Amino acid sequence: MLALKYLPTTIEKQGWDAQLKLTPSVLKLDLSEVEKRIRRFIKEYVENAGADGIVLGLSGGIDSNTVAALSSLSIGGDRVLGLMLPEKETHNSKDIDDAKFVAAKFGLKTQICDITPVLESFYKAIPIFDQADKLCKGNIKARTRMIYLYYYANKLNRIVCGSSDKSETMMGYFTKWGDAAADISPIMDLYKTQVRKLAEHLGIPPELASKPSTPALWPNQLAEIELGIKYETLDLILYGLERFMTTEEIAQQLSVEKALIEEVKSRWLATEHKRRMPLAAKIEYRTVGADFRLPRHTY
Amino acid sequence: MKEKIKLALAQISTKRENKKENLQKIEKFTIKAKEQAADLVIFPELSLTGYVVRDQIYELAETIPGPSTKRIEALATKTGMHIIFGMPELSEKTKATIFNTAVFVGPKGVIGKYRKMYLPTHSVFEEKRYFRPGYQTAAFDTKLGKIGLCICYDLFFPEVCRLTRLKGTELIVAISASPAIRRSYFEILTAARALENTVFLAYVNLVGVEDGLQFWGGSRLVSPTGDVLAKAKNDEEAFVTCEVDYSDIRPVETFIPTLRDLRPELFDELKKHAELF
Repeated sequence: MLALKYLPTTIEKQGWDAQLKLTPSVLKLDLSEVEKRIRRFIKEYVENAGADGIVLGLSGGIDSNTVAALSSLSIGGDRVLGLMLPEKETHNSKDIDDAKFVAAKFGLKTQICDITPVLESFYKAIPIFDQADKLCKGNIKARTRMIYLYYYANKLNRIVCGSSDKSETMMGYFTKWGDAAADISPIMDLYKTQVRKLAEHLGIPPELASKPSTPALWPNQLAEIELGIKYETLDLILYGLERFMTTEEIAQQLSVEKALIEEVKSRWLATEHKRRMPLAAKIEYRTVGADFRLPRHTY
Repeated sequence: MKEKIKLALAQISTKRENKKENLQKIEKFTIKAKEQAADLVIFPELSLTGYVVRDQIYELAETIPGPSTKRIEALATKTGMHIIFGMPELSEKTKATIFNTAVFVGPKGVIGKYRKMYLPTHSVFEEKRYFRPGYQTAAFDTKLGKIGLCICYDLFFPEVCRLTRLKGTELIVAISASPAIRRSYFEILTAARALENTVFLAYVNLVGVEDGLQFWGGSRLVSPTGDVLAKAKNDEEAFVTCEVDYSDIRPVETFIPTLRDLRPELFDELKKHAELF
Protein backbone atom coordinates (compact mmCIF):
# COMPACT_ATOMS: atom_id res chain seq x y z
CA MET A 1 0.00 0.00 0.00
CA LEU A 2 1.24 3.45 -0.87
CA ALA A 3 -0.32 5.64 1.75
CA LEU A 4 1.04 8.79 3.27
CA LYS A 5 -0.03 8.84 6.86
CA TYR A 6 -0.21 12.58 7.20
CA LEU A 7 1.01 15.77 5.67
CA PRO A 8 2.91 18.22 7.79
CA THR A 9 1.63 21.62 8.89
CA THR A 10 -2.00 21.35 7.82
CA ILE A 11 -2.91 17.90 9.07
CA GLU A 12 -2.80 17.29 12.78
CA LYS A 13 -0.32 14.60 13.68
CA GLN A 14 -2.00 11.29 14.44
CA GLY A 15 0.94 9.20 15.56
CA TRP A 16 2.36 6.52 13.35
CA ASP A 17 0.77 3.17 12.62
CA ALA A 18 2.09 0.53 10.32
CA GLN A 19 -1.02 0.86 8.20
CA LEU A 20 -3.19 3.84 7.36
CA LYS A 21 -6.43 3.52 9.29
CA LEU A 22 -9.42 5.07 7.62
CA THR A 23 -11.05 6.61 10.64
CA PRO A 24 -12.60 10.10 10.77
CA SER A 25 -9.47 11.32 12.54
CA VAL A 26 -7.46 11.14 9.29
CA LEU A 27 -9.57 14.02 8.00
CA LYS A 28 -8.81 16.17 11.01
CA LEU A 29 -7.07 19.42 10.08
CA ASP A 30 -5.14 22.09 11.87
CA LEU A 31 -8.00 24.50 11.16
CA SER A 32 -6.16 27.66 12.20
CA GLU A 33 -3.35 26.84 9.78
CA VAL A 34 -5.82 26.01 6.99
CA GLU A 35 -7.70 29.25 7.60
CA LYS A 36 -4.45 31.21 7.48
CA ARG A 37 -3.33 29.54 4.26
CA ILE A 38 -6.66 30.09 2.49
CA ARG A 39 -6.97 33.70 3.60
CA ARG A 40 -3.49 34.43 2.34
CA PHE A 41 -4.27 32.62 -0.93
CA ILE A 42 -7.39 34.73 -1.53
CA LYS A 43 -5.84 38.03 -0.51
CA GLU A 44 -2.72 37.59 -2.64
CA TYR A 45 -4.73 36.55 -5.68
CA VAL A 46 -7.09 39.51 -5.50
CA GLU A 47 -4.20 41.93 -4.98
CA ASN A 48 -2.09 40.49 -7.78
CA ALA A 49 -5.04 40.47 -10.14
CA GLY A 50 -5.54 44.17 -9.48
CA ALA A 51 -9.18 43.31 -8.81
CA ASP A 52 -11.45 45.49 -6.71
CA GLY A 53 -12.93 42.51 -4.92
CA ILE A 54 -14.78 39.23 -5.13
CA VAL A 55 -18.10 38.06 -6.52
CA LEU A 56 -19.41 34.70 -5.39
CA GLY A 57 -22.60 32.73 -5.75
CA LEU A 58 -24.23 32.58 -2.32
CA SER A 59 -26.73 29.73 -2.20
CA GLY A 60 -26.96 29.47 1.58
CA GLY A 61 -25.32 26.04 1.43
CA ILE A 62 -22.29 25.25 3.54
CA ASP A 63 -19.69 25.54 0.79
CA SER A 64 -20.67 29.00 -0.39
CA ASN A 65 -21.28 30.19 3.18
CA THR A 66 -17.76 29.10 4.09
CA VAL A 67 -16.18 30.72 1.04
CA ALA A 68 -18.16 33.91 1.73
CA ALA A 69 -16.82 33.97 5.29
CA LEU A 70 -13.24 33.29 4.16
CA SER A 71 -13.47 35.96 1.45
CA SER A 72 -14.68 38.57 3.90
CA LEU A 73 -12.02 37.66 6.42
CA SER A 74 -9.37 37.88 3.68
CA ILE A 75 -10.16 41.18 1.98
CA GLY A 76 -12.92 42.80 4.03
CA GLY A 77 -16.66 42.30 3.56
CA ASP A 78 -17.20 45.59 1.74
CA ARG A 79 -15.21 44.15 -1.18
CA VAL A 80 -17.16 40.88 -1.29
CA LEU A 81 -20.48 40.56 -3.11
CA GLY A 82 -22.58 37.46 -2.51
CA LEU A 83 -25.02 37.01 -5.39
CA MET A 84 -28.12 35.07 -4.43
CA LEU A 85 -29.58 33.59 -7.59
CA PRO A 86 -32.80 31.74 -6.76
CA GLU A 87 -35.35 30.46 -9.25
CA LYS A 88 -38.91 29.43 -8.67
CA GLU A 89 -38.65 25.61 -8.93
CA THR A 90 -36.00 25.26 -6.24
CA HIS A 91 -36.72 28.42 -4.26
CA ASN A 92 -36.01 27.80 -0.58
CA SER A 93 -36.49 30.68 1.83
CA LYS A 94 -34.47 28.89 4.53
CA ASP A 95 -31.42 28.90 2.25
CA ILE A 96 -31.87 32.60 1.57
CA ASP A 97 -32.22 33.31 5.29
CA ASP A 98 -29.07 31.29 6.01
CA ALA A 99 -27.16 33.15 3.31
CA LYS A 100 -28.31 36.49 4.70
CA PHE A 101 -27.33 35.42 8.21
CA VAL A 102 -23.79 34.55 7.11
CA ALA A 103 -23.55 37.72 5.02
CA ALA A 104 -24.56 39.83 8.02
CA LYS A 105 -22.21 37.98 10.38
CA PHE A 106 -19.18 38.39 8.11
CA GLY A 107 -20.16 41.81 6.77
CA LEU A 108 -20.34 41.06 3.06
CA LYS A 109 -22.69 42.71 0.60
CA THR A 110 -25.45 40.72 -1.05
CA GLN A 111 -27.78 41.06 -3.97
CA ILE A 112 -30.71 38.85 -4.93
CA CYS A 113 -31.47 38.27 -8.61
CA ASP A 114 -34.31 35.91 -9.47
CA ILE A 115 -33.08 34.04 -12.54
CA THR A 116 -36.50 32.50 -13.38
CA PRO A 117 -37.26 34.79 -16.35
CA VAL A 118 -33.91 34.03 -17.94
CA LEU A 119 -34.37 30.29 -17.47
CA GLU A 120 -37.85 30.37 -18.95
CA SER A 121 -36.51 32.22 -21.97
CA PHE A 122 -33.95 29.46 -22.48
CA TYR A 123 -36.61 26.77 -22.10
CA LYS A 124 -38.71 28.47 -24.77
CA ALA A 125 -35.84 29.36 -27.08
CA ILE A 126 -33.98 26.06 -27.33
CA PRO A 127 -35.57 24.12 -30.20
CA ILE A 128 -34.89 20.70 -28.72
CA PHE A 129 -35.63 21.65 -25.10
CA ASP A 130 -37.02 18.68 -23.16
CA GLN A 131 -38.89 19.59 -19.97
CA ALA A 132 -38.67 16.00 -18.72
CA ASP A 133 -34.89 15.82 -18.85
CA LYS A 134 -34.20 17.32 -15.46
CA LEU A 135 -30.42 16.97 -15.61
CA CYS A 136 -30.02 18.88 -18.89
CA LYS A 137 -32.50 21.43 -17.63
CA GLY A 138 -30.76 21.72 -14.26
CA ASN A 139 -27.42 22.34 -15.94
CA ILE A 140 -28.95 25.40 -17.63
CA LYS A 141 -29.57 26.76 -14.13
CA ALA A 142 -25.97 26.27 -13.02
CA ARG A 143 -24.62 27.79 -16.25
CA THR A 144 -27.00 30.74 -16.02
CA ARG A 145 -25.72 31.45 -12.53
CA MET A 146 -22.19 31.36 -13.94
CA ILE A 147 -23.17 34.02 -16.52
CA TYR A 148 -24.53 36.29 -13.78
CA LEU A 149 -21.41 35.89 -11.68
CA TYR A 150 -19.07 36.67 -14.56
CA TYR A 151 -21.17 39.63 -15.66
CA TYR A 152 -20.88 41.16 -12.20
CA ALA A 153 -17.17 40.34 -12.03
CA ASN A 154 -16.48 41.93 -15.42
CA LYS A 155 -18.56 44.97 -14.69
CA LEU A 156 -17.20 45.57 -11.18
CA ASN A 157 -13.58 44.57 -11.90
CA ARG A 158 -13.75 41.67 -9.49
CA ILE A 159 -12.85 38.02 -9.60
CA VAL A 160 -15.25 35.09 -9.28
CA CYS A 161 -14.54 32.99 -6.24
CA GLY A 162 -15.76 29.40 -6.54
CA SER A 163 -17.19 27.21 -3.79
CA SER A 164 -16.42 23.72 -5.08
CA ASP A 165 -15.18 21.28 -2.46
CA LYS A 166 -12.94 18.27 -2.99
CA SER A 167 -15.65 15.63 -2.54
CA GLU A 168 -17.89 16.93 -5.30
CA THR A 169 -14.96 17.88 -7.52
CA MET A 170 -13.44 14.40 -7.34
CA MET A 171 -16.83 12.82 -7.96
CA GLY A 172 -17.51 15.12 -10.90
CA TYR A 173 -20.67 16.09 -9.07
CA PHE A 174 -20.99 19.53 -10.63
CA THR A 175 -22.03 21.14 -13.88
CA LYS A 176 -19.23 21.49 -16.41
CA TRP A 177 -18.69 25.24 -17.03
CA GLY A 178 -21.42 25.89 -14.46
CA ASP A 179 -20.98 25.95 -10.70
CA ALA A 180 -17.30 24.97 -10.90
CA ALA A 181 -16.48 27.92 -13.18
CA ALA A 182 -14.42 30.42 -11.20
CA ASP A 183 -11.12 32.27 -11.10
CA ILE A 184 -10.08 30.72 -7.81
CA SER A 185 -11.41 27.83 -5.75
CA PRO A 186 -10.17 28.29 -2.19
CA ILE A 187 -11.77 25.16 -0.67
CA MET A 188 -11.29 22.75 -3.58
CA ASP A 189 -8.67 20.82 -1.62
CA LEU A 190 -10.98 20.22 1.36
CA TYR A 191 -13.43 17.35 1.59
CA LYS A 192 -17.02 18.21 2.43
CA THR A 193 -16.74 17.04 6.05
CA GLN A 194 -13.58 19.14 6.40
CA VAL A 195 -15.42 22.18 5.01
CA ARG A 196 -18.07 21.70 7.69
CA LYS A 197 -15.41 21.67 10.40
CA LEU A 198 -13.73 24.73 8.93
CA ALA A 199 -17.10 26.51 8.80
CA GLU A 200 -17.64 25.91 12.51
CA HIS A 201 -14.09 27.02 13.23
CA LEU A 202 -14.87 30.30 11.42
CA GLY A 203 -17.95 30.85 13.56
CA ILE A 204 -20.70 29.57 11.28
CA PRO A 205 -23.33 27.95 13.53
CA PRO A 206 -23.28 24.12 13.64
CA GLU A 207 -26.84 23.83 12.34
CA LEU A 208 -25.79 25.65 9.16
CA ALA A 209 -22.53 23.73 8.92
CA SER A 210 -24.30 20.38 9.09
CA LYS A 211 -27.13 21.28 6.72
CA PRO A 212 -27.62 18.69 3.94
CA SER A 213 -26.05 19.79 0.65
CA THR A 214 -27.99 20.32 -2.55
CA PRO A 215 -26.92 21.51 -6.00
CA ALA A 216 -30.49 22.93 -6.35
CA LEU A 217 -30.87 21.88 -9.97
CA TRP A 218 -34.37 20.52 -9.31
CA PRO A 219 -36.75 20.47 -6.34
CA ASN A 220 -35.80 18.37 -3.30
CA GLN A 221 -32.47 17.31 -4.82
CA LEU A 222 -30.12 16.16 -2.06
CA ALA A 223 -26.47 15.42 -2.75
CA GLU A 224 -26.13 12.45 -0.41
CA ILE A 225 -29.25 10.76 -1.78
CA GLU A 226 -28.18 11.32 -5.35
CA LEU A 227 -24.63 10.15 -4.70
CA GLY A 228 -26.05 7.22 -2.76
CA ILE A 229 -23.63 7.64 0.13
CA LYS A 230 -23.11 9.75 3.24
CA TYR A 231 -20.33 12.32 3.02
CA GLU A 232 -18.73 10.87 6.15
CA THR A 233 -18.15 7.61 4.25
CA LEU A 234 -17.53 9.14 0.83
CA ASP A 235 -14.79 11.39 2.19
CA LEU A 236 -12.98 8.47 3.77
CA ILE A 237 -13.21 6.50 0.51
CA LEU A 238 -11.86 9.45 -1.48
CA TYR A 239 -9.15 10.00 1.11
CA GLY A 240 -8.11 6.36 0.72
CA LEU A 241 -8.09 6.65 -3.08
CA GLU A 242 -6.12 9.88 -2.89
CA ARG A 243 -3.50 7.99 -0.90
CA PHE A 244 -3.33 5.12 -3.37
CA MET A 245 -5.14 2.56 -1.21
CA THR A 246 -6.69 -0.31 -3.14
CA THR A 247 -10.47 -0.69 -3.31
CA GLU A 248 -10.11 -3.96 -1.35
CA GLU A 249 -8.27 -2.25 1.50
CA ILE A 250 -10.78 0.57 1.68
CA ALA A 251 -13.76 -1.81 1.60
CA GLN A 252 -12.24 -3.94 4.30
CA GLN A 253 -11.39 -1.07 6.59
CA LEU A 254 -14.71 0.69 6.23
CA SER A 255 -16.74 -2.53 6.24
CA VAL A 256 -18.58 -1.60 3.08
CA GLU A 257 -19.15 -3.46 -0.17
CA LYS A 258 -16.20 -3.40 -2.54
CA ALA A 259 -18.63 -2.64 -5.36
CA LEU A 260 -19.44 0.70 -3.75
CA ILE A 261 -15.77 1.66 -3.55
CA GLU A 262 -15.29 0.64 -7.17
CA GLU A 263 -18.25 2.72 -8.21
CA VAL A 264 -16.80 5.77 -6.45
CA LYS A 265 -13.39 5.12 -8.01
CA SER A 266 -14.73 4.72 -11.53
CA ARG A 267 -16.83 7.83 -11.19
CA TRP A 268 -13.79 9.77 -10.00
CA LEU A 269 -11.67 8.57 -12.93
CA ALA A 270 -14.44 8.91 -15.53
CA THR A 271 -15.03 12.58 -14.73
CA GLU A 272 -11.47 13.83 -15.23
CA HIS A 273 -12.65 15.56 -18.43
CA LYS A 274 -14.73 17.90 -16.25
CA ARG A 275 -11.67 19.01 -14.31
CA ARG A 276 -9.45 19.85 -17.27
CA MET A 277 -9.12 22.19 -20.21
CA PRO A 278 -10.69 20.77 -23.39
CA LEU A 279 -8.49 18.15 -25.03
CA ALA A 280 -6.56 19.56 -27.98
CA ALA A 281 -5.34 17.49 -30.93
CA LYS A 282 -1.54 17.60 -30.75
CA ILE A 283 -0.30 18.99 -34.09
CA GLU A 284 2.29 21.64 -33.49
CA TYR A 285 5.44 22.50 -31.55
CA ARG A 286 3.80 23.47 -28.23
CA THR A 287 0.16 22.71 -27.54
CA VAL A 288 -2.34 24.38 -25.23
CA GLY A 289 -3.32 22.13 -22.37
CA ALA A 290 -0.70 19.51 -23.26
CA ASP A 291 2.88 20.73 -23.19
CA PHE A 292 2.43 24.49 -23.09
CA ARG A 293 3.25 25.19 -19.45
CA LEU A 294 3.03 28.81 -18.54
CA PRO A 295 2.76 30.46 -15.18
CA ARG A 296 -0.62 31.90 -14.37
CA HIS A 297 -0.35 35.65 -14.46
CA THR A 298 -2.58 37.64 -12.26
CA TYR A 299 -0.80 40.92 -12.60
CA MET B 1 40.29 34.81 7.11
CA LYS B 2 37.82 36.30 9.53
CA GLU B 3 37.00 34.30 12.65
CA LYS B 4 33.57 35.88 12.89
CA ILE B 5 31.36 36.98 10.05
CA LYS B 6 28.02 38.69 9.93
CA LEU B 7 25.32 37.32 7.65
CA ALA B 8 22.21 39.00 6.32
CA LEU B 9 19.37 36.60 5.47
CA ALA B 10 17.36 38.45 2.82
CA GLN B 11 14.07 36.57 2.73
CA ILE B 12 12.42 38.22 -0.24
CA SER B 13 9.42 37.64 -2.47
CA THR B 14 10.00 38.11 -6.17
CA LYS B 15 8.14 39.63 -9.05
CA ARG B 16 7.95 36.61 -11.31
CA GLU B 17 9.73 36.90 -14.68
CA ASN B 18 10.75 40.45 -13.86
CA LYS B 19 14.52 40.37 -13.51
CA LYS B 20 14.74 44.14 -13.50
CA GLU B 21 12.57 44.52 -10.41
CA ASN B 22 14.16 41.56 -8.68
CA LEU B 23 17.63 42.97 -9.29
CA GLN B 24 16.48 46.27 -7.83
CA LYS B 25 15.27 44.42 -4.74
CA ILE B 26 18.56 42.55 -4.47
CA GLU B 27 20.36 45.90 -4.67
CA LYS B 28 18.14 47.44 -2.03
CA PHE B 29 18.67 44.60 0.42
CA THR B 30 22.41 44.44 -0.29
CA ILE B 31 22.75 48.12 0.55
CA LYS B 32 20.73 47.51 3.72
CA ALA B 33 23.03 44.62 4.60
CA LYS B 34 26.03 46.86 4.07
CA GLU B 35 24.52 49.53 6.31
CA GLN B 36 24.11 46.92 9.03
CA ALA B 37 27.74 45.89 8.69
CA ALA B 38 27.01 42.45 7.26
CA ASP B 39 29.73 40.66 5.30
CA LEU B 40 27.52 38.35 3.28
CA VAL B 41 23.93 38.78 2.10
CA ILE B 42 21.98 35.73 0.97
CA PHE B 43 18.90 35.61 -1.28
CA PRO B 44 16.57 32.64 -2.00
CA GLU B 45 16.60 30.05 -4.78
CA LEU B 46 15.80 31.53 -8.22
CA SER B 47 15.47 34.94 -6.61
CA LEU B 48 16.42 36.57 -9.92
CA THR B 49 13.31 35.31 -11.70
CA GLY B 50 10.85 33.82 -9.21
CA TYR B 51 10.32 30.08 -8.82
CA VAL B 52 7.08 29.24 -10.66
CA VAL B 53 7.98 30.49 -14.14
CA ARG B 54 7.48 27.20 -16.00
CA ASP B 55 8.23 27.49 -19.77
CA GLN B 56 9.31 31.10 -19.36
CA ILE B 57 12.52 29.74 -17.88
CA TYR B 58 13.78 29.25 -21.45
CA GLU B 59 13.66 33.00 -22.02
CA LEU B 60 14.81 33.98 -18.55
CA ALA B 61 17.93 31.82 -18.22
CA GLU B 62 21.26 33.59 -18.60
CA THR B 63 24.84 32.51 -18.86
CA ILE B 64 27.36 33.14 -16.10
CA PRO B 65 28.91 35.59 -16.68
CA GLY B 66 25.93 37.35 -18.18
CA PRO B 67 24.01 40.61 -17.80
CA SER B 68 22.56 39.81 -14.38
CA THR B 69 25.75 38.46 -12.81
CA LYS B 70 27.63 41.47 -14.20
CA ARG B 71 25.18 43.73 -12.45
CA ILE B 72 25.51 41.82 -9.18
CA GLU B 73 29.30 41.92 -9.55
CA ALA B 74 29.15 45.70 -9.91
CA LEU B 75 26.93 45.85 -6.83
CA ALA B 76 29.36 43.69 -4.84
CA THR B 77 32.30 45.82 -5.93
CA LYS B 78 30.52 49.05 -5.11
CA THR B 79 29.38 47.90 -1.67
CA GLY B 80 32.30 45.63 -0.82
CA MET B 81 29.72 42.94 -0.03
CA HIS B 82 29.62 39.21 -0.67
CA ILE B 83 26.31 38.15 -2.25
CA ILE B 84 24.69 34.75 -2.82
CA PHE B 85 21.56 34.49 -4.97
CA GLY B 86 19.76 32.01 -7.20
CA MET B 87 19.14 32.12 -10.94
CA PRO B 88 18.42 29.90 -13.94
CA GLU B 89 21.79 29.44 -15.61
CA LEU B 90 22.10 28.85 -19.34
CA SER B 91 25.08 26.66 -20.14
CA GLU B 92 27.87 28.79 -21.58
CA LYS B 93 29.07 25.81 -23.63
CA THR B 94 25.88 24.36 -25.09
CA LYS B 95 23.76 27.53 -24.99
CA ALA B 96 20.87 25.12 -24.69
CA THR B 97 20.81 23.47 -21.29
CA ILE B 98 19.67 25.19 -18.10
CA PHE B 99 20.72 24.68 -14.49
CA ASN B 100 19.17 25.80 -11.22
CA THR B 101 22.18 27.66 -9.88
CA ALA B 102 23.35 29.46 -6.76
CA VAL B 103 25.87 32.19 -7.57
CA PHE B 104 28.45 33.46 -5.11
CA VAL B 105 29.77 36.93 -5.86
CA GLY B 106 32.40 38.90 -3.96
CA PRO B 107 33.82 42.40 -4.30
CA LYS B 108 36.28 41.13 -6.91
CA GLY B 109 33.70 39.31 -9.01
CA VAL B 110 32.11 35.87 -9.22
CA ILE B 111 33.71 33.56 -6.66
CA GLY B 112 31.89 30.47 -7.84
CA LYS B 113 28.60 28.81 -8.52
CA TYR B 114 26.74 25.68 -7.53
CA ARG B 115 24.33 23.82 -9.77
CA LYS B 116 21.51 22.09 -7.88
CA MET B 117 22.13 18.35 -7.84
CA TYR B 118 18.73 17.08 -6.74
CA LEU B 119 15.88 18.41 -8.82
CA PRO B 120 12.44 17.71 -7.32
CA THR B 121 10.03 16.38 -9.92
CA HIS B 122 6.99 15.20 -8.01
CA SER B 123 3.88 16.72 -6.47
CA VAL B 124 3.90 20.41 -7.49
CA PHE B 125 7.54 20.35 -8.60
CA GLU B 126 8.65 19.92 -12.21
CA GLU B 127 12.34 20.84 -12.12
CA LYS B 128 13.69 17.91 -14.13
CA ARG B 129 11.50 19.02 -16.99
CA TYR B 130 13.55 22.19 -17.23
CA PHE B 131 16.92 21.74 -15.57
CA ARG B 132 19.94 19.53 -15.96
CA PRO B 133 21.29 18.52 -12.56
CA GLY B 134 24.70 19.62 -11.37
CA TYR B 135 27.43 17.05 -10.74
CA GLN B 136 29.66 18.82 -8.27
CA THR B 137 29.41 20.04 -4.73
CA ALA B 138 30.71 23.51 -4.02
CA ALA B 139 33.16 24.69 -1.36
CA PHE B 140 34.86 28.03 -1.84
CA ASP B 141 37.83 29.51 -0.02
CA THR B 142 36.99 33.12 0.60
CA LYS B 143 37.97 35.98 2.85
CA LEU B 144 34.86 35.07 4.83
CA GLY B 145 35.95 31.50 5.42
CA LYS B 146 35.30 28.29 3.53
CA ILE B 147 31.73 28.48 2.36
CA GLY B 148 29.72 25.77 0.61
CA LEU B 149 26.45 25.98 -1.28
CA CYS B 150 23.43 23.78 -1.74
CA ILE B 151 19.86 24.33 -2.89
CA CYS B 152 16.56 23.34 -1.27
CA TYR B 153 15.80 19.68 -2.12
CA ASP B 154 19.53 18.88 -1.85
CA LEU B 155 18.98 19.05 1.92
CA PHE B 156 16.99 15.79 1.76
CA PHE B 157 20.16 14.00 0.63
CA PRO B 158 22.79 14.06 3.38
CA GLU B 159 25.53 13.24 0.89
CA VAL B 160 25.53 16.77 -0.52
CA CYS B 161 26.17 18.54 2.76
CA ARG B 162 28.50 15.79 3.94
CA LEU B 163 30.69 16.07 0.89
CA THR B 164 30.62 19.85 1.07
CA ARG B 165 31.70 19.67 4.69
CA LEU B 166 34.46 17.15 3.99
CA LYS B 167 35.90 19.60 1.48
CA GLY B 168 36.46 21.89 4.46
CA THR B 169 33.34 23.99 4.46
CA GLU B 170 32.52 25.64 7.76
CA LEU B 171 29.41 27.44 6.62
CA ILE B 172 26.89 25.81 4.30
CA VAL B 173 24.52 28.22 2.61
CA ALA B 174 21.27 26.57 1.52
CA ILE B 175 19.03 28.70 -0.64
CA SER B 176 15.49 27.49 -1.07
CA ALA B 177 12.00 27.85 -2.53
CA SER B 178 10.03 25.66 -0.17
CA PRO B 179 6.22 25.72 -0.08
CA ALA B 180 4.39 25.92 3.24
CA ILE B 181 3.14 22.35 3.25
CA ARG B 182 6.74 21.17 3.49
CA ARG B 183 7.75 23.50 6.30
CA SER B 184 8.32 20.90 8.99
CA TYR B 185 10.63 18.86 6.73
CA PHE B 186 12.97 21.81 6.31
CA GLU B 187 12.87 22.69 9.97
CA ILE B 188 14.10 19.17 10.68
CA LEU B 189 16.54 18.87 7.79
CA THR B 190 18.34 22.16 8.35
CA ALA B 191 19.03 21.20 11.96
CA ALA B 192 20.04 17.66 11.01
CA ARG B 193 22.47 18.67 8.24
CA ALA B 194 24.17 21.18 10.56
CA LEU B 195 24.40 18.79 13.49
CA GLU B 196 25.54 15.68 11.65
CA ASN B 197 28.32 17.69 9.99
CA THR B 198 29.13 20.02 12.89
CA VAL B 199 28.83 22.96 10.57
CA PHE B 200 26.99 26.28 10.43
CA LEU B 201 24.08 26.23 8.05
CA ALA B 202 22.35 29.35 6.76
CA TYR B 203 18.97 28.62 5.17
CA VAL B 204 17.27 31.35 3.13
CA ASN B 205 13.82 30.59 1.78
CA LEU B 206 11.53 32.42 -0.59
CA VAL B 207 8.27 34.03 0.55
CA GLY B 208 5.16 35.07 -1.31
CA VAL B 209 2.53 33.27 -3.35
CA GLU B 210 3.43 32.16 -6.86
CA ASP B 211 0.70 30.57 -8.94
CA GLY B 212 -1.13 29.61 -5.75
CA LEU B 213 1.98 28.05 -4.21
CA GLN B 214 2.74 29.63 -0.83
CA PHE B 215 6.40 29.88 0.14
CA TRP B 216 6.84 30.00 3.88
CA GLY B 217 10.09 31.85 4.52
CA GLY B 218 11.37 30.89 7.96
CA SER B 219 15.00 31.55 6.98
CA ARG B 220 17.48 30.75 9.72
CA LEU B 221 21.03 30.35 10.85
CA VAL B 222 21.61 26.96 12.46
CA SER B 223 24.56 26.27 14.74
CA PRO B 224 26.82 23.21 14.51
CA THR B 225 24.72 21.72 17.33
CA GLY B 226 21.53 22.16 15.32
CA ASP B 227 20.26 25.10 17.33
CA VAL B 228 18.49 27.94 15.59
CA LEU B 229 20.62 31.02 16.26
CA ALA B 230 18.50 33.45 14.28
CA LYS B 231 15.24 33.12 12.46
CA ALA B 232 13.20 35.21 10.07
CA LYS B 233 9.43 35.31 10.38
CA ASN B 234 7.28 32.85 8.48
CA ASP B 235 5.20 33.94 5.48
CA GLU B 236 6.44 37.49 5.08
CA GLU B 237 9.41 39.33 3.67
CA ALA B 238 12.12 39.66 6.28
CA PHE B 239 15.68 40.74 6.73
CA VAL B 240 17.68 39.25 9.59
CA THR B 241 21.31 39.69 10.47
CA CYS B 242 23.23 37.16 12.52
CA GLU B 243 26.76 36.19 13.39
CA VAL B 244 28.77 33.09 12.55
CA ASP B 245 31.62 32.48 14.98
CA TYR B 246 33.79 29.80 13.40
CA SER B 247 35.54 29.16 16.71
CA ASP B 248 32.32 27.47 17.87
CA ILE B 249 32.86 24.53 15.53
CA ARG B 250 35.84 22.93 17.21
CA PRO B 251 34.36 22.55 20.68
CA VAL B 252 31.24 21.08 19.15
CA GLU B 253 33.24 18.54 17.17
CA THR B 254 34.88 17.62 20.47
CA PHE B 255 31.50 17.12 22.12
CA ILE B 256 29.76 15.40 19.16
CA PRO B 257 32.59 14.04 17.01
CA THR B 258 30.53 13.16 13.96
CA LEU B 259 33.40 13.78 11.56
CA ARG B 260 35.94 11.88 13.66
CA ASP B 261 33.62 8.88 13.71
CA LEU B 262 32.92 8.76 9.99
CA ARG B 263 33.26 5.24 8.53
CA PRO B 264 34.47 5.46 4.92
CA GLU B 265 33.96 1.77 4.27
CA LEU B 266 30.21 2.28 4.66
CA PHE B 267 30.24 4.56 1.67
CA ASP B 268 31.42 1.71 -0.54
CA GLU B 269 28.54 -0.37 0.77
CA LEU B 270 26.20 2.54 0.27
CA LYS B 271 27.28 2.95 -3.33
CA LYS B 272 26.79 -0.74 -4.03
CA HIS B 273 23.30 -0.81 -2.57
CA ALA B 274 22.30 2.53 -4.07
CA GLU B 275 22.91 1.01 -7.49
CA LEU B 276 20.94 -2.14 -6.73
CA PHE B 277 17.82 -1.35 -4.75
